[in-house]
Amino acid sequence: MSGTLALPRPGLLARLDPWPWLGTLAFALMLVFVAWPLGELALTSFIGQESGRFGFDNYAEFFASSYFRRALVNSLTVGALGTLIALVIGVPLALAYARYDFPGRGAIEVAILLSMLSPPFVGAYAWILMFGRSGWVTEFARGLGLELPPIYGTLGISLASAFGLYPLVFLVVRGGLARVERSLEEAAASLGRGRIGVTLTVTLPLVLPSLLTAALLVFLGVVSDFGTPAILGEGERFPVLATLAFSLYLSEIGAEPGMAATTCMILLAIALVLVLGVRFLSGRRSVASDAGGGGGLKRLGGAKGSAMTAAVAALVLVANMPTIVVVVSSFLEVRGVVFQPAFTLANYHNALAAMGNALWNSLVLAGVALVLITVLGAGVGYYISRRSGLLAKALDLLIMVPFVVPGTVLGIGYATVFNEPPLLLTGTFTIIAAVYVVRRLPYMTRSCAAVVYQIDRGLEDASLSLGRPPLSGFQRIVLPLMQPGIVAGAAIAWVEVFSELSASIVLYTGPTRTLPIAAYQQAATGDIGMAAAYSTMLVGIAAVGLFVFLLAARGRGERSVGWL
Amino acid sequence: MRGEAPGHLAIERVVKRFGSFTALDGVTLSAARGEVLTLLGPSGCGKTTLLRVIAGFLQPDAGAVAVGGRSLNGVPPNARNLGMVFQNYAVFPHLSVAENVAYGLRARRLPAGEIARRVEHALRRVRLSGLADRYPDALSGGQKQRVGLARAMVIEPELLLMDEPLSNLDAKLRVEMRQEIRLMQRELGITTIYVTHDQEEALAISDRIAVMEKGRILQVGSPREIYEQPAHAFVADFIGGCTWFDGVLGGGVLSLAAGPRIPCPGPAQPARLALRWEDLRLATDADPPEHCLPARVAMASYLGHRTRLRLVLEPSGAELHADLPSHDPLPPEGSVARFAFDPARARVFGADGTRLA
Ligand SMILES: Nc1ncnc2c1ncn2[C@@H]1O[C@H](COP(=O)(O)OP(=O)(O)OP(=O)(O)O)[C@@H](O)[C@H]1O
Ligand SMILES: [Mg+2]
Repeated sequence: MSGTLALPRPGLLARLDPWPWLGTLAFALMLVFVAWPLGELALTSFIGQESGRFGFDNYAEFFASSYFRRALVNSLTVGALGTLIALVIGVPLALAYARYDFPGRGAIEVAILLSMLSPPFVGAYAWILMFGRSGWVTEFARGLGLELPPIYGTLGISLASAFGLYPLVFLVVRGGLARVERSLEEAAASLGRGRIGVTLTVTLPLVLPSLLTAALLVFLGVVSDFGTPAILGEGERFPVLATLAFSLYLSEIGAEPGMAATTCMILLAIALVLVLGVRFLSGRRSVASDAGGGGGLKRLGGAKGSAMTAAVAALVLVANMPTIVVVVSSFLEVRGVVFQPAFTLANYHNALAAMGNALWNSLVLAGVALVLITVLGAGVGYYISRRSGLLAKALDLLIMVPFVVPGTVLGIGYATVFNEPPLLLTGTFTIIAAVYVVRRLPYMTRSCAAVVYQIDRGLEDASLSLGRPPLSGFQRIVLPLMQPGIVAGAAIAWVEVFSELSASIVLYTGPTRTLPIAAYQQAATGDIGMAAAYSTMLVGIAAVGLFVFLLAARGRGERSVGWL
Repeated sequence: MRGEAPGHLAIERVVKRFGSFTALDGVTLSAARGEVLTLLGPSGCGKTTLLRVIAGFLQPDAGAVAVGGRSLNGVPPNARNLGMVFQNYAVFPHLSVAENVAYGLRARRLPAGEIARRVEHALRRVRLSGLADRYPDALSGGQKQRVGLARAMVIEPELLLMDEPLSNLDAKLRVEMRQEIRLMQRELGITTIYVTHDQEEALAISDRIAVMEKGRILQVGSPREIYEQPAHAFVADFIGGCTWFDGVLGGGVLSLAAGPRIPCPGPAQPARLALRWEDLRLATDADPPEHCLPARVAMASYLGHRTRLRLVLEPSGAELHADLPSHDPLPPEGSVARFAFDPARARVFGADGTRLA
């Protein structure tokens, strides 16, 4: 051996540890764009709308009003019913996918994921097209002398939400099932339990945390959704908290920002209680398998396989019905408020003529937001999973807050604090981009953190010990390994950002109108043909984007949605 | 030999294929009531597959499995009444120790008092009485394994199946646990099929051993038979250390390329001779030269009561090992000495691996 290879003298960059800086920056941003608006809302809710006094006046008024109380009950009812329906659809699907291989499995899975593409309000609108007062199913049934139950209100909102959100249940529960060690089920079988007994006594208890998480996500999704109840609740007739907050805040005849803030806080409180409840219930005992579980899939061939395929396909077809209906309808002629069985491009013609900047705005805003989400989210995702300091913990928590805060609440918060200096953002593109980023950043941080947790720390230590500076080691070693997480996070973030409605509906002005807003407005009060055309464009562009991400992810052997 | 009579467990020409790969290639095996029969073989030889066929988790493509004269074909795992102990413990993480042990009893709808009594008894037997209310995440590996054992035994199964139950434990615990398993199994008299690829474990725990290779059973016999009378070259090689010598058989004599010649019956063919490492000793003047091998001592490793010499044959340069008692006067490293073997202890195998002498 002769001497050693000298390392270059460490320059400034080589010694730079960028992570605390990034963490601090992200934390500051979260303070401004999450803590401040929500804090302001909380404060406002305690300032009496009538009296101007500090105290619980607004809350007292809220619970004194039967209309407000109804909104609360309605929210909880559709939340519970929607969650139940989504579980009933999603859990059997997850079981089928986690345990069996059957013909058409892959194709049907794509269809399941596709049904996540259409934003909830598009689904709601499709339900009206099918089951509304003059929907084609309603008319058809009427022709047979049948009167269907009205789709407006509890049943319709629950169904529409559930059919939009069941893929979440599918993904989360399947992920949980995949981690259940197969030998546990075999042990149960060898001890004398039949298939149903094993599922009830071993499999389901073990995936209970996943079930609870899925139920929580769906419930939050239903309760915080603005578009679906706005369309299927017919405005004021079936109020829920999200639509109530919106109309209280933006009502043309005497807005009541104090009451709006109070409503927001009640919505937030529900979310908080649920999150903590699920945490408590699933965190009591760790049942995650250390071995990582798994095991092969049982192949179903012949009649059994066909039956399984048929059952799964039928379920998924029903779930995709709303999207199909909207897409087909967009090419149908409209007379009055009824589609005619004749194809035409007139709807697109009208839609494009009336669109203004909506599509362009959407593309730019979603594009900018996605870039910010990716860069910030990947960095922060790495930071919070590798550092254990107080800052990292606080940042992790603060970033997850918008995940459970309904979009309408955040939108109202933004409108409240950013309408005056020092940060006058009302009416700008910035405010919409900001709300996009803040709302969907959690997807990216979670997705990346999940991957980073699995990357052996030793790899980075090895890189350091071999003389590479931290940042360059990150770039050469960690970033390539994080790629699947980044792609998965970006794919979800893209779809969610592009079709964001709940917050932007509060914040948009004429020049910053987006495609989802245009679609929503036509669906709620305008031309049903144009609504279908806008919705189809929305779903189509989201799909194209997703397809690009899937292509990017292909060959990396990773199609799972990491953060789930 | 035991177990020749219609066994408690009878496996008849079982075949299992995965696609085009044959994992079990016509396995026939039987186990007598109350014995421990070990499946021993290298990784991938089909031990787990055979065990899972017996347990009913896999359906054989051909052949039959019967327990106590009752055919198990078409019987689902939960109706077979077989206890299974898993390599990764498979202790239910959401149930306490007592609930784990009670699981199979509950499935059998025993009255609560009876369940409590049996669970307590089973836990006492595996020395876990104090931990009845603990959850598995607060148990050590050995404790989890004992929960798995108690859980499988408490249902008084027809047959106990164990798939490398000790392989996740550390060396010391492994030895303790295997004695414990053996004691308990004797006490209860449960017929046990035990899977391992650890030959020492197999020799220590088994009444009989079935050596497997590539989906076939090469030899079944007591540990002593397997070790001392291997029926197949693979068995001789797999169990215990062996040195192999190439040679040619003809005219009732096996002539080794290395020099020695020993009498051996059989048709003329290339053949191989296997010598256990402990069957070589320093030659004396009384040893005939045709049973002696001159070799240089390349290295000596002291292993306690024995010393292992690495030898290089003169003049061919082939390597071999010899385990000699450490208290004997040993030739120093680098020296050349003569080593002798007893032809009665040499095993000769034909070109296809079958035993000739
Ligand atoms: N589900 C399966 N599909 C395809 N091949 C399989 C399957 N299960 C097992 N095999 C193959 O069958 C052979 C026997 O596997 P088995 O698990 O029985 O081995 P084993 O003797 O238990 O090995 P080990 O000591 O490593 O546990 C292996 O080559 C394995 O790859
Ligand atoms: Mg095995």
